[in-house]
Amino acid sequence: MDEQLQILPFIIVFLPAISAVFQTLFTLKEGGLSAGIAIGAVGISFLCSAVLAFIIYSGGIPDYNYSITWLTAGDLKLEIGYQMDKLTLLMLLVVTFVSGLIHIYSIGYMHNDAAEGRYFAGLNFFTTAMLGIVLSNNFVMLFIFWELVGLSSYLLIGHWFERPAAANAAKKAFITNRLGDFGFILGIILVWGFIGSVRFDEISAKISRNPEIFGVYGTVAGLLIFCGAVGKSAQFPLHVWLPDAMEGPTPVSALIHAATMVAAGVFMLCRVFFIFSAKAAVPQSLAMLAVSPLSVIAWIGAITALISALIAIQQNDIKRILAYSTLSQLGYMVMAVGLSGPSPAMFHLITHAFFKALLFLCAGSVIVALHHNQDIWTMGGLKSKMPITFITFLIALLTICGIPPFSGFYSKDSIIALAQHKSTALFVISIIVAFLTALYMSRLLVVVFFGKNRSHHSAASKESSYVMTVPLIILAIMSIISGFIGIDATLNSIFGVAVKDGEKLNLFYPFSHSPLAAWLGLGFSIFGIVIAFLLYSSKDKDPITERLGIIATAMKNRFYFDEIYDGIIELTHDALSKTSAFIDRWIVSGFVIKGIHGTVEICGRALRLVQTGNVQTYVFILTAGAAVLIYYLIRH
Amino acid sequence: MVNWIFLIPIIVAVALLFLPRRWGTVAWFATFIAMFVSMVLAISVFFKFDPSVTGIQFEHKSIWVQALGINFHTGVDGINVGLLLMGAIVAFTASCLSWDIKTREKEFSILLLLMSGGILGAFASFDMFFFYFFHELALIPTFIMIGVWGQGENKNYATFQITIYLTIGALITLFGLILLYVKSNANTFDIVDLSNTLAKRQIESQGQSLIFPILMVGFGTLVSLFPFYSWAPPGYAAAPAPAAMMHAGVIKKFGLLGFLRICVPLLPQGAIEWSHILAVLCVGNMLYCGWVAMQQKNLNLLFGFSSVAHMGFAFLGIASLTVIGVTGAVVIMIAHGLLAALSFGLSGWYQKQTGTLEFDKMGGFLKRLPFMGTALLIAMFAGCGLPGFANFVGELLVFFGAWKDFSFYVVLGAWGALVIGAIYMLSAARKILHGELKPEFSRIRDAQTFWRKIPYSILIATLLFFGIFPVILTKRIEPSVKIILKAVEKPENQAQMKPLAPTKIKKTK
Repeated sequence: MDEQLQILPFIIVFLPAISAVFQTLFTLKEGGLSAGIAIGAVGISFLCSAVLAFIIYSGGIPDYNYSITWLTAGDLKLEIGYQMDKLTLLMLLVVTFVSGLIHIYSIGYMHNDAAEGRYFAGLNFFTTAMLGIVLSNNFVMLFIFWELVGLSSYLLIGHWFERPAAANAAKKAFITNRLGDFGFILGIILVWGFIGSVRFDEISAKISRNPEIFGVYGTVAGLLIFCGAVGKSAQFPLHVWLPDAMEGPTPVSALIHAATMVAAGVFMLCRVFFIFSAKAAVPQSLAMLAVSPLSVIAWIGAITALISALIAIQQNDIKRILAYSTLSQLGYMVMAVGLSGPSPAMFHLITHAFFKALLFLCAGSVIVALHHNQDIWTMGGLKSKMPITFITFLIALLTICGIPPFSGFYSKDSIIALAQHKSTALFVISIIVAFLTALYMSRLLVVVFFGKNRSHHSAASKESSYVMTVPLIILAIMSIISGFIGIDATLNSIFGVAVKDGEKLNLFYPFSHSPLAAWLGLGFSIFGIVIAFLLYSSKDKDPITERLGIIATAMKNRFYFDEIYDGIIELTHDALSKTSAFIDRWIVSGFVIKGIHGTVEICGRALRLVQTGNVQTYVFILTAGAAVLIYYLIRH
Repeated sequence: MVNWIFLIPIIVAVALLFLPRRWGTVAWFATFIAMFVSMVLAISVFFKFDPSVTGIQFEHKSIWVQALGINFHTGVDGINVGLLLMGAIVAFTASCLSWDIKTREKEFSILLLLMSGGILGAFASFDMFFFYFFHELALIPTFIMIGVWGQGENKNYATFQITIYLTIGALITLFGLILLYVKSNANTFDIVDLSNTLAKRQIESQGQSLIFPILMVGFGTLVSLFPFYSWAPPGYAAAPAPAAMMHAGVIKKFGLLGFLRICVPLLPQGAIEWSHILAVLCVGNMLYCGWVAMQQKNLNLLFGFSSVAHMGFAFLGIASLTVIGVTGAVVIMIAHGLLAALSFGLSGWYQKQTGTLEFDKMGGFLKRLPFMGTALLIAMFAGCGLPGFANFVGELLVFFGAWKDFSFYVVLGAWGALVIGAIYMLSAARKILHGELKPEFSRIRDAQTFWRKIPYSILIATLLFFGIFPVILTKRIEPSVKIILKAVEKPENQAQMKPLAPTKIKKTK
């Protein structure tokens, strides 16, 4: 192995970090220079990834692994290393490509911001954290970068920290993610406890040799690892942070929703999919308790997809609608993982990275044009004012709705087809979600771009500058073509090897092999688009809010998840905290200490006769003691 | 060479006694130089230390009182080499920040030097007598500094409380040590000689199970082990910043070092017997004190309670009695020393600039204070165990190490570290740094000069250095930990009772 090839992946991952540190230390006050450095760093990472991809995909060298010791203690050996294979490379390319475009777009979006330098350093750091997750070949390194992704999201969501909403959203995102990480780290330690290693290849080998290696903890291990993904990929019940994260700058939302952060959860599940092939060794009599973690994962995904699609219908903030659509699409991906389909999940992850980045950047373009107004009912008629934004948004819309030949159709269909073969209930849910997706996305399109101008801002809006529209066009092209350039075939070959069961491979049939799923999905999507055009064309307020009544109110209020959680936390964790503080204040230091105080006070009065209260005397006695000591030392 | 690390501050302290009172700046400068030299020596000892050689390096041994077996025995092994480095760095930064003390500068400098020299001497000592003596030398200045230069309404009460608590803790420790000396029947205070003797013939198990809890309470009180912690938060809140940095960061680690130097290797059976109790008490630190910290409304009290909570992780590592866990505990001792110094150094600066540390009165500072605000944010993230800082490494090792025997406590500890820590630290960051700046602080100014920034930068850089390259620490610590734990052999039958033990897997294969 060439030494350059061993170093190259480290350059890819750490170059943006070095650039971020450099910007923080030296160019924080010079936004333009920071932007240049940041884009340069990500650009070089992208080029290095492309070179590496060319070498490996052309068969020049086989997959390889490389690790350096991070620490050792007893029989625990932790390493920083990478696993260079086709999955890693695919993700490296997607992450650096999308992230690079978002960096470029940010020049336009953030050029008036006072803290542009801090912003670009944050973007760079975010990219490094995500690339670290992609490259990791062991759980601990994955967890380290996992936490750093949480930190970067905190810094970027809270970029405008003077705004209370942004500061609260950043805090909420970090703490909610920490809840997931709590389960994740326990899962990692549990796995290590049974296997004695945290490396993916070693764990995978041991599980395939003995699927019951975790004993009765087989299901628990899988679910704890999944906890991490629940937090990071914002699955029910920890989905509440993602919509609030919209308080960050729009390109940050694009980055979080497309290439980094939320993608990390799904990617991690696919990367460590072998963990779910472990079986719980429970006695025959308790066999009913041996639930596969995968079925839980599938249902969590489906519930997330459905709930967030329903909520999205009644949101009025352009970014929040997109946020709930991300939740819904992530639900699809997680469901696919739960149905033993890492390949469709990754396929949808990649196409989603392109079209969701595109959707957010289009939304950003609209928001800039409307002077940072985000309520869709103040927009309207932007079709002719912002033609490039409109056309690229339309492409993204058709992609997310799953209209062929746009990429979203292929990736979503592969998930629906998988559901059709595995579970009727999940199949029905995924069709309903496809319908709802088309409905709320078309609602957004109709209200924002069609009809008449609803405010003077929308009347006066104009197309954004090239630095913003060129990334839109590139992403639009990727959204169109990424469905049929062989990404699915590559993924099938990657996971086809990993998945042992021959029958599972047969699920990855192309479109023609599962006509029911394809036709139903397509039919319901078109139905949703038509309904949206009928309902919302030239309306000035939402017509279904009144018709659905209380249901619409519940949807608008996000099914009251935040309020319910606040109540639960207040009653449990906060109550424990308050009780502890009460005990500490009134019993420990109030009663016990004061009691001792009283007793000692009396003795103290007696002893006061001996004390001089003079600092110099104390100091003198102390130093005299030290002097005596030194004298003794010298003498002996 | 090691001796000079702690002798230079003590010698300078004695020399300063003869300085005229008016020359406060000279006293400060002498302190600064002494601490700087001491730090440079500690750094060079740390990097000259050869991890591949087992046993004590840079050893110095001279007989002091032959009749009692007291030796002046100093040196470094893997455990104290990192602690000396940490202690010297913290002492240097504390001396930088003592520039802000503008009353009785000379006396303050002398006390700070005695404190630093004393505790570094305790770290370097391999003799129980000097180990204890040097600690007392460091402890007494703490009380005086809080009493004379302290702040806040509760100053006198806090001084009283910390003095009583720590004096009693130290007395219990002394009692335990004397009991150990008598029971060991080896007629030596030298820890190396003692462990050699006791390796051949242990103290009978009754004696061990009596002495261990005495020392556990004694040392535990000095480290704010639950339920003997209530001196710490008000004490640190009242202390002047350099004293709080030195005590919370460095002097407090004496108790933990006592566990590693004396309790565990010399009383192995007592350690096995009492490790479960210790693990239960840790939960009090990790969960209960974390919960109390969530309700604090003052930055100093928050840092005080979080510092108490962090000690729980170190204790859990020690209670695990595994190489991984104890190595983690040592890493935490070093990391927490740097972090506590950073935290209290920062809160001292904020107190001076804003006149308050109440969350209700602060807010929106990050906009006006890019450097100090970021430093505070860094301290808070290090405090909630973010990877990249040495604290994460220590906590991770403790969780891995304690998993085998104390998996339930690890679950609780992970909740304390990941969730409770994040809640109280980020809530404080939200209240102090984020949001809108209050009009009364519109003229507040960031640290401007290089000299103002240097102490914080050194502490942050060291935390990051060990957080990113932990192998530099662990390769030094691990061999010495293995020696300590050699005497501790766990009963075989325990393995069968623990369903999560990796040893069981080997049997099924």
